Amino acid sequence: MTEARPVVLVVEDEPEIRRFLHAALGADGYRVVGSATGHRGSIDAATHKPDLAIVDLGLPDFDGIEVIRRIRAWSPMPILVLSARVQERSKIEALDAGADDYVTKPFGIGELLARVRVALRHAFRAGSGEHILRFGGATVDLEKRTARRGDSEVRLTPIEFRLLGCLATHLGMVVTHRQLLTEVWGPSHHQDTHYLRIYMKQLRTKLENDPVRPRHLMTETGVGYRLVADE
Amino acid sequence: MSTRGDWTGYAWAAGATAICTLVGLAMRDRFDLVNVAMVYMLAVVAIALRYSRGPAILTSLLCVAAFDYLFVPPWGAFSIDDVQYLFTFVVMLAVAVVISELVDRVRRHAQAQAALEIEAETERIRSALLASVSHDLRTPLAVLSGASSTLAESGERMSAEERRALATSLFRQSRELSEHVAKVLQMARLETGTIQPERDWATIGEIAATVLDRLAERLSKHRLIVDLPDDLPLVRVDATLIEQALVNLLENAAMHTPAGTVVRLRAQRRGHELLVSVEDFGGGLPEGDGERVFAKFHRHSSEGIGGIGLGLSICRAIVRLHGGLVWAERVPGGGAAFRFTLPIEEAPTVPAESAGD
Repeated sequence: MTEARPVVLVVEDEPEIRRFLHAALGADGYRVVGSATGHRGSIDAATHKPDLAIVDLGLPDFDGIEVIRRIRAWSPMPILVLSARVQERSKIEALDAGADDYVTKPFGIGELLARVRVALRHAFRAGSGEHILRFGGATVDLEKRTARRGDSEVRLTPIEFRLLGCLATHLGMVVTHRQLLTEVWGPSHHQDTHYLRIYMKQLRTKLENDPVRPRHLMTETGVGYRLVADE
Repeated sequence: MSTRGDWTGYAWAAGATAICTLVGLAMRDRFDLVNVAMVYMLAVVAIALRYSRGPAILTSLLCVAAFDYLFVPPWGAFSIDDVQYLFTFVVMLAVAVVISELVDRVRRHAQAQAALEIEAETERIRSALLASVSHDLRTPLAVLSGASSTLAESGERMSAEERRALATSLFRQSRELSEHVAKVLQMARLETGTIQPERDWATIGEIAATVLDRLAERLSKHRLIVDLPDDLPLVRVDATLIEQALVNLLENAAMHTPAGTVVRLRAQRRGHELLVSVEDFGGGLPEGDGERVFAKFHRHSSEGIGGIGLGLSICRAIVRLHGGLVWAERVPGGGAAFRFTLPIEEAPTVPAESAGD
């Protein structure tokens, strides 16, 4: 089984943080490659071909966003961002540059491992043609364009289907406002956040058991949305 | 004074002269010319009180010109052969200069006073910050270094259960510490104006849902009632900041009221603003504390209650940054309500779409 262990690349300049990531990821069954600089990280990504990369945004030589761009130039591997910055902007920039999800420092290891699992599962599942979505009491067939909640049929509008589809292609991971707006309404609408507010509310009313306390169509304040399906 | 303020001053100089002229024309048949001059004098005084010297001098010039042209015979022409009207002009000019000089002096004095007060306040905050840092940060730090060194040095001689308990308390204390630090930093950034709100359309319902999610554990001992009407309008806010403000209010309620009591989160439209309230049914507010609770490092009761007394001041700073008001009041039946408002702007429309396939 040792050969089948997924490889995780950790690009992080703080040795203490690398150390505990190494320990925790190792204990969870991953093989870890650590890089202390962005330059080194970009090279390691190419030579080790990891299954997933964890990239810190505050690297000494160049911005973590640059590492993401370099990896994205040739690989679709899932990338998680570690952001210590309180400002949302760098996070969003990283996501728009191609990162798949983020964890804000300081974080508990449970949170990070859960994100790693979701991202790997997503990479594994991508292209599998899965088009039935189940969460809470809702079942949505994205291909046949039908939706049910419990026993009753729910009618979704074409835009609602598109929005749900866009979230579903990143199942479990965050999708930024810009990504959603561009994919669902087109590039000229990338700033029309109010569209999202209205349509997400509609989707929750139709699909969530308790729209006031949603469990699946989750808000990432200031960043975007996340669709969390059943385990 | 800003350039824009100056221009308004000059505009008002002309405006005041025009108004006095109208009043003067109405008075002309029944009053002596002296009284008309008095009306003009009033304009000069008013402008000198409100604006700087420039507009005041302009007013006196315009007033004498208008007075001379329209009221002093021969009407409809300038004639300053009559020495007494030259005298009127000089008096008006003197009044303008004297009053604006006095006002200027008062203003400078007030500014100096305010600067002194700010300095005193800054000093008070600085010492409160030091006290807070030394107490609230030292305790978790002591736990961190104590528990972690215990684990490192004698972890092997402990049971798995003991080790886990120590590690869990390390995790909890470090979380707390990082939240304390985050609050101190955020307050500092709010104070220095480093935080520029990034406003975008948001719903208070969505923000509230995230807040309740974040606080699920800390609110678990209270009975939570959420009252958010379905038709609340969109607000243009920095959702991250408003989320923080709401977190702080709810945290504050949970911290200061006994387990098992009700905490209610409400939002309602009130004219052109959205009113958001966090109401609790705990001890209520100490007398006269409506404003003081928002002061930095203010603590409602002495020991045993966590938090560094920054939550409410951060909340106030955030709400003010959005042009809203924030206040606390007693709730009948012995509780406290913390409320804030957010201005409602007209939201852009979303193109309609019909359900179907």
